[in-house]
Amino acid sequence: MNLSMVEFLLQQAWQSIRRNGLMSLATSSNMTVALLILSAFLLATINLEHMADVEARKANITVDLAEGADAGEVEATLLGDMRVEETRYRTRDQALREQAEAVGMSYEQLNATLPENPLPDSIVVKPVDPQDMAAIAQAAEKIEGVAEVRYQEQITGKLLILARGIRIAGVISGVVMGAATLLIVSTTIRLTIYARRREIRIMQLVGATNWFIRLPFILEGAFHGVVGGAVSMVLVLASYSWAHGYVSEHLGFIELIYSARFAVLFALGAISCGTFFGVLGSILGLHSYLRNV
Amino acid sequence: MIHVEGVTVVYSDGTRALSGVDLQVDRGEFAFLVGASGSGKSTLLHLVYRELVPTEGRVIIAGQDVASLPRERVPYLRRNVGVIFQDFRLLSERNVWENVAFALEVVGASRREKYRKVPLALELVGLSEKEQSFPHQLSGGEQQRVSIARALVNNPAILVADEPTGNLDPDISWEIMQLLTNIADRGTTVVCATHDRVIVDGMRRRVVSLVGGTIVRDARGGGGYDEP
Repeated sequence: MNLSMVEFLLQQAWQSIRRNGLMSLATSSNMTVALLILSAFLLATINLEHMADVEARKANITVDLAEGADAGEVEATLLGDMRVEETRYRTRDQALREQAEAVGMSYEQLNATLPENPLPDSIVVKPVDPQDMAAIAQAAEKIEGVAEVRYQEQITGKLLILARGIRIAGVISGVVMGAATLLIVSTTIRLTIYARRREIRIMQLVGATNWFIRLPFILEGAFHGVVGGAVSMVLVLASYSWAHGYVSEHLGFIELIYSARFAVLFALGAISCGTFFGVLGSILGLHSYLRNV
Repeated sequence: MIHVEGVTVVYSDGTRALSGVDLQVDRGEFAFLVGASGSGKSTLLHLVYRELVPTEGRVIIAGQDVASLPRERVPYLRRNVGVIFQDFRLLSERNVWENVAFALEVVGASRREKYRKVPLALELVGLSEKEQSFPHQLSGGEQQRVSIARALVNNPAILVADEPTGNLDPDISWEIMQLLTNIADRGTTVVCATHDRVIVDGMRRRVVSLVGGTIVRDARGGGGYDEP
């Protein structure tokens, strides 16, 4: 393929985009909206999973030991549970230190306010999957030498359920929006083919190869994809950046993913996704209308 | 150059368009195909530029059997067969030069090739002066000349003309036919389907007559529309 061929193909594609101005605008806009919706779902899912992950890292169960219990034996039993990742023995003294730290006092201050240390010796259990917390706790209660099992009701599970729900909704709307986008791109391409049928016929007669006839249409589809991808990317990144600013200012406990690498990956993803849909749409349009080409 | 052997064409609706046709047209030869509408002239031309493949028999164009030609090779065969029509089939938004260059562009010719070949083709058909005109600014005869230039710009071995003078006045028709015979005299094989009795009688070239899909007469040495 030489330079004048590339020039010719690009020129052909650009001409038909311009000639069907309104239709081209509608196609690119539809692509933009579809990618915006998909991006919104994607960002929500990614961030919820990220939040769940952050929460999960904090998740643990405290197993208080009864007076005179064999800590080693209890710990061994706990570790025998496949759902347990690791355990840590904590003396009552350490427990009080950690408690002091958690409430923002010094150990000495806290100790002075108490007649005696009310905390027992305990074992801190970290689960493999935070969703198993309740089950692990239940099992731990039955171990001999365990006085009490405590764990903070985790929001991890709820976050994960929410993330899963949003992901399912995202996949469903992705399929629906994807199908609609493909339909619109392929219809646009069919109209373009119809508008250019004389030209195509002449191309066939003078010996243009099938790919040479098809390529401008595929480029046209790719154009709609790139434009849709780029516009949606700008809109999404701008609003996400705003959302990130708002959240970190007003809702400090929520941590959104935000980095240059993430933005670049997202931009590349949006544009390649758009291009993929554009090219696929035009191939579908070509397939049904130019079977003989 | 064109070798048709025992060819029968039956369309999918059962219509028998050609029956047992044998025809040989040599390099640089000029042949008229004459016959009433539905006699099979266009079907025979369609076989030459591989718009159709025969139901039976063999069609060999420039040494290639069209029926066994893989689909992706068809464009390369067509680069060797120029085609012109009664309705010219020019692109209205392109000027004369661009219409002719179009045939080179779509086969991937370089810019230099275009600038070398387009003027030659326009000179051959006598339209060098009108290269900037658009089709609607030209007479019918001039438009047909543009379409001939476009068909020839790739230097095909064969030129197929389907009723090329059907839309033209007698004087202009005569000029176009003179141009086609000149092209044949330069070595291009020309096959021309026509209804134009006056032209055929006047040219005294080879005449192949078709009736109901069969060749009933082949005046190889030159003849009239009805008479050998």
